Amino acid sequence: MTEERLIISRKTNNKFFLMIAVGVVLLIAGIIFMAAGGGAEHHAEGHGEAAAAGHEAASWTKRLFVNLWLNNVYFTGIALIGTFFVAVQYVAYAGWSALVKRIPEAMASYLPIGGIVMLLVFLFGGHDIFHWTHEYLYDVNDPRYDPIIAGKSGYLNTVFFLIRMVVYFGLWILFTKWLRNQSLSEDLNGGTSYYHKSIRISAMFLVVFGITSSTSAWDWVLSIDTHWFSTMFGWYVFASWWVSGLAAITLTVIILKQNGYLKMVNANHIHDLGKFVFAFSIFWTYIWFSQFLLYWYANIPEESIYFIDRLGGNEGHFAWIFFFNLVINFVFPFLVLMTRDAKRQMIMLKIVTIAILIGHWFDFYLMMMPGTLRTDAGIGFIEIGTTLVFLGVFLLTFTKGLAKASLVPVNHPFLEESVHHHV
Amino acid sequence: MQHVSPIREPLVTGGKTYHDITEDVCRQVEAKPNARWAAALAVALVGLAIFIYSVYRTLWFGIGEWGLNKTVGWAWDITNFVWWVGIGHAGTLISAILLLFRQKWRTSINRAAEAMTIFAVICAAMFPVLHMGRPWLAYWVLPLPNTFGSLWVNFNSPLLWDVFAISTYFSVSLVFWYIGLVPDFATIRDRATGPIARRAYAVLSMGWTGSAKAWSRYETVSLILAGLATPLVLSVHTIVSMDFATSVIPGWHTTIFPPYFVAGAIFSGFAMVLTLMIITRKVFFLENYITLEHVESMNKVIILTGSIVGIAYTTEFFIAWYSGVEYEQYAFINRAFGPYWWAYWSMMTCNVITPQLFWIRKIRRSLTATFIISIFVNIGMWFERFVIIVTSLHRDYLPSSWAMFSPTIIDIGVYVGTIGLFFTLFLLFCKFFPVINMAEVKAILKSSSEVKHHGHAATMHATEKGLNTNRHHNE
Amino acid sequence: MNKKFVLGIYDDEDVLLTAIENIRAAGTKIYDVFSPYPVHGIDDVLGIKRSRLPIVAFFGGLFGMSFALWMQIWMLGFDWPMIIGGKPHIAIPSFIPVTFELTVLCSAFSMVITFFIVSRLKPSLKVNVFDKRSTDDKFVMAIEVKDGVTNMDALNDLLRSNGAIEVNEKEVVK
Repeated sequence: MTEERLIISRKTNNKFFLMIAVGVVLLIAGIIFMAAGGGAEHHAEGHGEAAAAGHEAASWTKRLFVNLWLNNVYFTGIALIGTFFVAVQYVAYAGWSALVKRIPEAMASYLPIGGIVMLLVFLFGGHDIFHWTHEYLYDVNDPRYDPIIAGKSGYLNTVFFLIRMVVYFGLWILFTKWLRNQSLSEDLNGGTSYYHKSIRISAMFLVVFGITSSTSAWDWVLSIDTHWFSTMFGWYVFASWWVSGLAAITLTVIILKQNGYLKMVNANHIHDLGKFVFAFSIFWTYIWFSQFLLYWYANIPEESIYFIDRLGGNEGHFAWIFFFNLVINFVFPFLVLMTRDAKRQMIMLKIVTIAILIGHWFDFYLMMMPGTLRTDAGIGFIEIGTTLVFLGVFLLTFTKGLAKASLVPVNHPFLEESVHHHV
Repeated sequence: MQHVSPIREPLVTGGKTYHDITEDVCRQVEAKPNARWAAALAVALVGLAIFIYSVYRTLWFGIGEWGLNKTVGWAWDITNFVWWVGIGHAGTLISAILLLFRQKWRTSINRAAEAMTIFAVICAAMFPVLHMGRPWLAYWVLPLPNTFGSLWVNFNSPLLWDVFAISTYFSVSLVFWYIGLVPDFATIRDRATGPIARRAYAVLSMGWTGSAKAWSRYETVSLILAGLATPLVLSVHTIVSMDFATSVIPGWHTTIFPPYFVAGAIFSGFAMVLTLMIITRKVFFLENYITLEHVESMNKVIILTGSIVGIAYTTEFFIAWYSGVEYEQYAFINRAFGPYWWAYWSMMTCNVITPQLFWIRKIRRSLTATFIISIFVNIGMWFERFVIIVTSLHRDYLPSSWAMFSPTIIDIGVYVGTIGLFFTLFLLFCKFFPVINMAEVKAILKSSSEVKHHGHAATMHATEKGLNTNRHHNE
Repeated sequence: MNKKFVLGIYDDEDVLLTAIENIRAAGTKIYDVFSPYPVHGIDDVLGIKRSRLPIVAFFGGLFGMSFALWMQIWMLGFDWPMIIGGKPHIAIPSFIPVTFELTVLCSAFSMVITFFIVSRLKPSLKVNVFDKRSTDDKFVMAIEVKDGVTNMDALNDLLRSNGAIEVNEKEVVK
């Protein structure tokens, strides 16, 4: 079985750099527009009462930091899912995926960057994103003392938070590299020992992932709405990351195929990837609905406030996103990918996976913005610009990782099965 | 042409041929009942008798025969209901979800597992009906036009959602199981010698001939049913969990319940399948079909789902602290250190610790260890439901309402009785129906068995080998 | 009206598939192939079109969903509106579980019933099996014989040269 190597042309790389450049320009334009007080009168009116209620108008730094955080959490999650996907395939003794496994392997390349960005954004922008980082909340003598948040300080304190962050990325990168090394060595040396070792590494990783995926979700997303809590939340964020990661893998496989690579990948592999995207879109919806229904049903104020903020609250600012989220992440994929044929056609899957990737970005937007920017949140140059920058960087690291090894894992014990895969 | 990697372990050992599969599985159906089966049935019938008596006491004298009180309005009844429904989920998972994931090892266990589902759901359904107090009015749960206005059912209630969920689950599982049985009934019909057997299996097989067109439709139907049954099984235990989660009771009202209950159901269901299959394979000499590979695969599912359950316990505990809600915090402290601490620690030991033993390969591949652990898992899962229901109810918001619960002999009798009912049905199934899906195992024979078949010579040689290795296969 | 068939018996699925391909290529029409299990790939070589049962399932599900929603909305929203637990009369989130269940129920049953009807499966004492070994361990290829038209020897050769271990004749009484 011959290997295939991806060649990233200078033109493609330039496209990514251009993406980053455009993103930076939009970002700066957005910041200037905001800092110069664009719509100053609107702000003054709106924030008259708001200021009286103790809410300050969001500054451009706050908006920038929240956007950096949003995109980094989103892209880090997708990168992490790369390793998760590989681990699941090993533990399940799956044969069909051998031909596409290099894609999720490379997807995890972003993790180190994700780690550094997460650290820096927290250190510089922590106060803007996380309400609980303000010291006055824990000072019994301060009028702004909050007993509920103070009660969480055993977990929500800067030192422990940072230690956890380092541990998460440390473990995730360790396991990613470990699996990658086994995979690359297998290309060079053959045999089945790397395969069996990878199963053991994957099993260990899954345990680590099971715990850290939830705790990182609590740290990075749940704590933004500091008073709120939900036992489902860790699994909800995982569901969003998982389907986004699956969509990213599928989209990448399709784009590579359309550019002449992955010659042995056929409609059968695409079909299986399509099934994953379809099924886990439904799974995400199930998790979404379970969380929502239970809090809506019991209608306990300290729990339902989260959804009120995202529906009628915040002057209905987020209501359209609330429903758009469901349409783009459930209704659309469900209806379009239902038929067998649709899951075998690259065009259909391309459209749906792009929709899902955009859709789950909005999902994370809805998770983070109401608790930070509130009515000052928007979809403007800053949002688009930041996203483009992150996308460009992600694609650069991703393609670099893809080009580093053969696209075909030439000595994988299940390669023949994968080549002859027929659904 | 499909390719199967040589590093995969065979799923059918002993050099079996298609005909061997027919013989090995039909043997139990066609033979006269043996002494062991009869003895087991006798024990099960004793259990069934206990069930009938306990139900009579409940219906004639009322719910006062149970240990319930105003504070603890649900105890053994709903614990048992959830326990049985949970067990039932493994059958559908093995049939449907493992079919979608193309796991070939499901073929020798899915029929028995599906049968287990049907019987477990029957046992489960006993409890909501019995705990009504006036079960003869059970039809009131259906939205039928009536003379009270019409007074319609409360579609806002999870208890009503349960009615639709369990009914749908039971009927779809029954249909899925039955369709799978049709080709095998045809096999038995075509071998049957006795006049009653020939007629009975002819009717049951619905005229099945095995034509290619019929098989093509059959496969489509199986796949679609699997695709429908998968979200169905998830929805059923989700709705069951909502019986608790939609309330405001600390320990009950928590968003993680739906997927956590589903994971727990699969966990207990697989344990029950293992308990049953380890006995069945020995008694019916089916070790070449339900191999150590099958047992090991099921044990891996147990590690996975057991770990998910463990993570859920930890999450609940952590978020209870994190939330700062004192009632929630007390609920968890009470579970671990209050008057029902023994139930809580039984649950933790059985559910969190014992399945982790399966990380050790030797234990994973030991039939004795697997059998023992599978029973502990089911004990643990019973305690989990008991802990959730009783400890949350017996001490919630208002201390003046706090009370204790203890079961009466009738509570215990109904539960033990349903175990008797379950085994009666299962033993009858083993006698009259082929416990292994012959057609599906034949379908994987060429790709997944020990000896590759190339026509006559190998077949005859393999048949001899087959007869001998049956007895040798002891692990 | 009695129908005559020639039955080619095979004992290997791959040999069978190749045989079907060759026999059809030779211009012979195969009436049917009976097997103890579904043979992977046989649909393509026999030219069996994909089943339309999924479409039945879809519309069954659509009906179930519509009916469930209509039922709940009419009963609790119009016929006898009640405020339960402080929820609106038409509480859509509450109505989702029952809607989901009825969707699955109607989808499954409409498809299964249609399956039984189009496959002509029904509880009956009549058995139309061509060769009883087709439910055990042999693959039976049935080719219809037209009196005076079919060349029996050529057919025999064609079947045997493609791997048939036996060739029999069968008459089916309608």
